[in-house]
Amino acid sequence: MKNVLLGLLLAFVSIIAGCSSVDSKGETANRKTEVVFWHSMSGDLQPVLEEIVNDFNQTHSDIEVKPVFQGTYEEALTKWNAVAGTKEAPTIMQTFEVGTKHMIDSRQIVPVQTWIDKDQYDVSQWEKNIVRYYTVNGRIYSMPFNSSTPVLIYNKDAFRKAGLDPEKPPLTYSELKEAAKKLTKKSGKETKQYGFSMLNYGWFFEEMIAVQGGLYVNHDNGRSADATEAVFHGQEGRRVFELIRDMYRDGTFYNAGQNWDDMRAAFQAGKIAMYLDSSAGLKSLIDNSPFSVGVSYLPVPDGIERQGVVIGGASLWMMKGSSEKEQKAAWEFMKYVTSPSVQAKWHVRTGYFAINPAAYDEPLVKEEWKKYPQLKVAVDQLHETKPTAATQGALITVFPESRQHVVKAMEQLYEGVDPQEALDQAAKETNRVLQKTN
Amino acid sequence: MNDRVSSPMPSAWPVPTQPTVRRTAMKAWMEGMVYLLPSLLLFGVFLFYPLARTLYLSMFSTNYQGAPIRFVGWAHFAALFQDESFWHSVKTTFFFAALTVPTTVAIAFCLALLVHEKRKGIGIFRTLFASTMGMSVAVASIIWMFMYNPAIGIMNRLLSALGFPAVSWLLDPDTALYAVAIATIWMNIGFTFLLLLAGLQNIDPSLYESARIAGLSYWRQLWTVSVPLLSPTLFFVTTVSLIQALQTFGQIDFLTKGGPVDATNVFVYAIYREAFVNYQFGFASAQAIVLFVIIAAITFLQFRFAERKVHYQ
Repeated sequence: MKNVLLGLLLAFVSIIAGCSSVDSKGETANRKTEVVFWHSMSGDLQPVLEEIVNDFNQTHSDIEVKPVFQGTYEEALTKWNAVAGTKEAPTIMQTFEVGTKHMIDSRQIVPVQTWIDKDQYDVSQWEKNIVRYYTVNGRIYSMPFNSSTPVLIYNKDAFRKAGLDPEKPPLTYSELKEAAKKLTKKSGKETKQYGFSMLNYGWFFEEMIAVQGGLYVNHDNGRSADATEAVFHGQEGRRVFELIRDMYRDGTFYNAGQNWDDMRAAFQAGKIAMYLDSSAGLKSLIDNSPFSVGVSYLPVPDGIERQGVVIGGASLWMMKGSSEKEQKAAWEFMKYVTSPSVQAKWHVRTGYFAINPAAYDEPLVKEEWKKYPQLKVAVDQLHETKPTAATQGALITVFPESRQHVVKAMEQLYEGVDPQEALDQAAKETNRVLQKTN
Repeated sequence: MNDRVSSPMPSAWPVPTQPTVRRTAMKAWMEGMVYLLPSLLLFGVFLFYPLARTLYLSMFSTNYQGAPIRFVGWAHFAALFQDESFWHSVKTTFFFAALTVPTTVAIAFCLALLVHEKRKGIGIFRTLFASTMGMSVAVASIIWMFMYNPAIGIMNRLLSALGFPAVSWLLDPDTALYAVAIATIWMNIGFTFLLLLAGLQNIDPSLYESARIAGLSYWRQLWTVSVPLLSPTLFFVTTVSLIQALQTFGQIDFLTKGGPVDATNVFVYAIYREAFVNYQFGFASAQAIVLFVIIAAITFLQFRFAERKVHYQ
């Protein structure tokens, strides 16, 4: 009897032990170098990415890249935190742009600059504005992969019905307010169609400040030295908040909450006529809307010169824990995904930018641009961006938390809180966490 | 010799000496422990160790990987009790529990009474009423998210068809918690209903017969037979539902992310955000310990006071 119990116990212990010793890396039987690649591409993006990986594996007989979906950028980063520096960590990790400083400070990564130097790879062929974001202290830390910017999206049919020119979208705040008023349609007390909307999400607020040339944090957006204070509650931030408050008060602004899908559903259902969205989802949005979709630049306050946009999206990071051979294989993969032909495919199938502008000369892109001229608008907006600290984007570790406070401030606007007061509160909270981590 | 002391009985069994008693007891204890070992091991790995670790972490500042860096003692707790948003989330959580638990139990009880009697086709209704049990929080939340969508959701279409103004359910701080509560009640009804129905089915039918012979009305029967005999089940579902309500997470994460303006930032969601978005594992651990103490105290009080009213057969 006791022997049976002991046996059971041993079996049990070995099961538990077995759980933790699953070896996910190393070399497979036929001596291929395995590269585990954690990514966050879901929905329509995932099959495109998997196709690219597949093509790579077929053309590179000695390397096997294994894409593993790890949830949203936030979720993937949390998982990575738990395994960074151990054998369970992937070789390549896709992380969103605001995680840049977090990754650098973790000290668990190899800057891709190391491999750029080793391979004498020419980065001058890359899109300047994208490289600028990922360059910290003169070094490129991660491989830009999927980059996007915010754009103004509008319903051309609704423009026509409201007597507006569908080829002349609003470019300034006053034009935006004017157009929104004409686009807002009411039946009785209920609003059938709202003029404008913007997701309660920190990214759009950051971009609306940057386009005016405003900074998010001090020390040149944390680029010349570690940021110690938030500055987004200055006049640039106030203009954005006042715009939302004014339009909400007029009844032309639709509160879309925090959910991207809710907002897109509202647009496609004709509930909102104009809104801000990422250029990344453009292709499927155009395909799935029952009306013709227009794309334009972010609006700016009257009399303010347009500075351009900060790059969003994500980049690929190489892990320190992996062997030289794995790193080399990972580098090969990174070079492959940023090559013009792959980037051309990536751009037309998703709406993300091409890291390598040579991709825009590929016949595939030229053909698609004829069918979807909207894709080109986002590219133009990026190319017209002026290289300043504002458009380079802020570099802080506590971005996710700071965004929560900005979202809360945006939500307070709908409750009638004064714009400056809401902003000051968010800045105060951001300062608190900035100082805690420094 | 004292005559009150009887002469020793001639015993068939040898009286064991002290050391032997101890040895047998020891052996029995050991054997008992061996039987318990698998469950102790499981509890140890999945409950006791994490609990001890949480307590340990709650006294440290941690890095982004959750590794303790600096001992801070009770500083996290001290900061916690001065934190306004902490008290706000405590209030929100209790209000949420008060909204959901009694309503869920009451509705489930009514449904159970409805389908308690044997009728033709009653099985269909029993299955329907219990069906929400088979749905994960994620799926249910997505369904409700679309129903609540102010632009395309069915809720607002119904309202406008009935001539009421549109409500921005999850986007208005005044309505968001109620909206999440309604979804939660719907999700929890299945499980509660099933337990209560099983409880009703277990009541001896002869008791109802006697009650009918005594001429008791349906409502008197309900009050004097069903409720007392169902009280153990009622007590159980209330306790479990309350613990569940205090630990609500999934619906919040899917539907509101704690917003708008923290209106639905319940306790567990606040802990999650502190640990896995802000990487403040020490502070989050302190919050988790406080939550543990609160739930333990409430469960204790429930057993101490409410259980007196429970009638065990």
